[in-house]
Amino acid sequence: MKKHTVISLVGLCLIASLMLAACGGAATPQVVKETQIVRETQIVKETQIVKEQVVVTPTPGPDPEAMIEGVEPNAEVALWTFWLSPTFDDYIKSTIARFEEAYPGVKVNWEDHQATFQDDLRNSFAAGNAPDVINLSVGEGWVSEYATKGLLLNLDDQVPQSVKDLYFPGLWQQQLVDGQNYQFPWYQGISVELINTKIYVEQAGLKVEDFPKTVEGLPALCKTIKEKTGTLCDIRLTVNDLLAQMVYEGDVKVISDDGTQFTFDSPEGAAWLQLYVDMVRDGTVDKSALTTTDDRVGLELFTSGKAAFYQTGPNLIREVRANNPGLYGYLAVVPAPVGKSGVVGKGLMGISVKADTQFPMASIALAQFFTNPRSMLEFSKIVAIYPSTPASYEDPFFAAKPVAIEDSAKPVAKDIVSKYADIVPTIPKKADVNEIVRQAVEAALFNNVPAQQALTEAVNKANALIGQ
Amino acid sequence: MLTQPSPQAGEGRGSPRPLVTKKFSLTPYLFLTPALLVTVVFILYPIVAVVFYSFTEYDIVTPPKWVGLKNYQQLAQDPTFWRALKNSFIYLIATPTLIALSILLAIIVNRNLRGIHVFRALYYIPAVSGSIAIGITWRWLFDVNGGLVNGFLVPLGLLTEPVQWLAEPAYILPIAILLTVWAGVGYYAVIFLAGLQNIPEELYDAALIDGCNNFQKHWYISLPGLRPQIVFVAVISSLAALKVFDEIYILTNRTGGILDSGVTMVFYLWRQAFRLTHAGYASAIAIVLLVITLVFSMMNVRLLERGVEAD
Repeated sequence: MKKHTVISLVGLCLIASLMLAACGGAATPQVVKETQIVRETQIVKETQIVKEQVVVTPTPGPDPEAMIEGVEPNAEVALWTFWLSPTFDDYIKSTIARFEEAYPGVKVNWEDHQATFQDDLRNSFAAGNAPDVINLSVGEGWVSEYATKGLLLNLDDQVPQSVKDLYFPGLWQQQLVDGQNYQFPWYQGISVELINTKIYVEQAGLKVEDFPKTVEGLPALCKTIKEKTGTLCDIRLTVNDLLAQMVYEGDVKVISDDGTQFTFDSPEGAAWLQLYVDMVRDGTVDKSALTTTDDRVGLELFTSGKAAFYQTGPNLIREVRANNPGLYGYLAVVPAPVGKSGVVGKGLMGISVKADTQFPMASIALAQFFTNPRSMLEFSKIVAIYPSTPASYEDPFFAAKPVAIEDSAKPVAKDIVSKYADIVPTIPKKADVNEIVRQAVEAALFNNVPAQQALTEAVNKANALIGQ
Repeated sequence: MLTQPSPQAGEGRGSPRPLVTKKFSLTPYLFLTPALLVTVVFILYPIVAVVFYSFTEYDIVTPPKWVGLKNYQQLAQDPTFWRALKNSFIYLIATPTLIALSILLAIIVNRNLRGIHVFRALYYIPAVSGSIAIGITWRWLFDVNGGLVNGFLVPLGLLTEPVQWLAEPAYILPIAILLTVWAGVGYYAVIFLAGLQNIPEELYDAALIDGCNNFQKHWYISLPGLRPQIVFVAVISSLAALKVFDEIYILTNRTGGILDSGVTMVFYLWRQAFRLTHAGYASAIAIVLLVITLVFSMMNVRLLERGVEAD
C-alpha cells in the first residue's frame, strides 16, 4: 500500500514537471497548486539525510564573539534596556539568541523600561533586585550617579586589555569615577542640527550651508529668524546638567583642581550665561523648550513644524518621519555648532554591570557582547546610531554614500566619535549643585538678576553645600 | 456570638447575672483580617515608614542614615519649600470658585428642559477624563505657536504678539487653578444637583407666593438647603487643592515652572524624592503636608458638625 502511494506521488511529480515545463515561466494559479503537490513527495526526507552527513564535519572552535572567560555555568542574568522596545525588539532578541549560543548555558531575561526607567532602577536597587546588566546613559550622567554610590562593578579590574582595546579610548575612559571605568561604551549619537528649510530657507531667506559653526553665532541667527518669520528658536539648556553645558559651550572651569571650590562664576561662566540672557531678553527663544528637563519637548516643537532648527541625533529623524512626514521632505542636516571648548561631544549610552551580581562574568560577557563590533554594526544598520568600536566602521556600510537624510553623518561618524571625550570633572553632590545652578540661571534669564551676580551667589551656595 | 443562658443559671445567687453572655468567636476577626491587612500594608506601614525616613538622609538606593531633625531644620530655611507652601495655599482659591460655579451650574441644569440630561453629561465629561489628557489639552490651548488662546486674542488685537503663557511665571498658577476649576466643576455640580433635588418644592412655591424673585429664591432657600453639600465639597476640594500635582506636572513639563513659579507642596516633594533622590527630605515635606491637611480636615469636620447642629 505504502509502495503504491509512493509510486502514485512520483507519478504525480512527473505529471507536474511536464505541466510546469509546458507552462514555461508563466505564473498561473494552477502552477502553484502543482507545486504544492511536489512538496508532498519524500524530498524532505532526503534533506534530512543531508543533515545527518554534516555530523562528520569537524566541530567548530569556540565562538569568536565569546571573548570573556570564566563565565559561570548556568548563569541567569537580567538585562534592562532604556527605551528600545518595541522598535528594536527583533534586534535585541536576536542578539540575545546569539549570545546564548556563544555562551551555552547562560540565560538572559530582558526587560525594556521607558519613561520610568530611573525610578524603576532606583526602586529595584532599594528592593535588592536590580538587574545584573543595565543600559545607562553616559550623556545624562547615570553611570557616575550609580558608580559613585558603589552600585556598579569596576570593569577595569575585570575586563582583559584585549577587550578594552576594542573600544575608542576616549569612550572607554569617559565618566570615570575615582579613575575607574564602570561602563562598556554602547551606541553613540552625533549631534546634528536638523533644519526645517521651509522656515529657514524659504521664509527667512537663509542658506543651510551658512548655519553657525559655533554656539556664539546662535543669538544673531535667532534674531534674524524671529524678525523674518516670527518663529522662536528651539534651543535647549541641559537643565539636568548645566555645569556640563558650561564646560562644553563656554570652556568654563567649574571646580578647582582639588575639587573643593566651585569656580564657575569666572568671566567665562558669566559670558556663557549672558549669551542666553541676551536671547531671552530679545524674545527670540521658546522659553519652555529652553528650560525643559525633557529633550522631547524641543523635538516635538520641531516635529510639529514650528521651529526653524533643532539640535538632536540623526537617529531621531525617524520620529520626524513618523510623526510629520510632510516635514521630512523639507529637512536638511548640518553639523551642530561647537562650543568654546572645541570638544565635539561626549558619549551617549553605555552598559554597566551591577556591583553585587551573582554572576559577574556572565554579566560582563553579556554587556561586552552587546557592545562588540558585530552587534553594534548590526544595530547601526537598523537605526542611525554609531558604534563605539573602531572595527565596526571597517564595514562597507559606513563607507557607502548616504541615501537617506538620517545617514548623512555616516561617512564622518568614525572621525567624530573617536574624538568624543568627557571633559567635565567629577562634581561632588552633582545633582544638588546643578539644582543650585539651575535656580541661578533662571534668576538671570527671567528675573533680571545680573549673570555675574547670579553665578557668584550660586558658587557661594554650592561651596557651602560641599563644605557641609 | 450571643447566647441565651438558661433561666435557672443565676437562681439562688446574690449577685445579678447578665441575661446574655459574650462568647468569643474568631469568625468576625477573620472577616476583618483582609481589610486590616490592606490598611496595615498600604496605609499604616507607609505612614510609619515616612515618619522614620523624615529623620534620615535617604537616597532610595542606599540604606537610610539617621540625621535627627536636620531635614526639618533645613525645611525651615528652604525658600523653595516656603514658596511651595505659599503656592499650595494660593491654590485654595480654587475651592470657593469651584463651589460658586458648581452651585450655579447645578441650579442651571436643575430644570426639566428637553435634552437637559445631555448637558448634564457634557458638564461631567472632565470628571471622567484623565488628568494627564486634560493637562496636555490645556498645554495645547496655551501653546505659543498655534495655541487657541493666542489664536483668539491676537486677531482680536488684544495681544500684539503671541504670549508664551506657560513660560511666564505670573501665569502658571492662575492657569493651573483655572484648569482645576474647569475639570472639577462638573463633578461637584452633580453633588449640588442631588442636594437641590432634595429640597422640597413647596418651599419654592411658598417663596413665590411671598413675592421672591429667582435670585432671592436661591439665596434664601437653595443655599441654606445645600449647606451639608457645601461643607462636604469645601472639605474634599480644599484637601485636593493642597495636594495638587498633576496639573503642575503636565503644564510645566515636569519643571515646576520658570523660577519655580508653579511649584506646590506635592510637586516639590516629588522633585526632591525622584529627581534629586532626597527621599528623607521629601518625607519631611510629606509629614508637614500631613499635619497641614490634618488640621484642615479637623477644621472642616468641626464646621460640618456645627452645620448639622445648626440644622
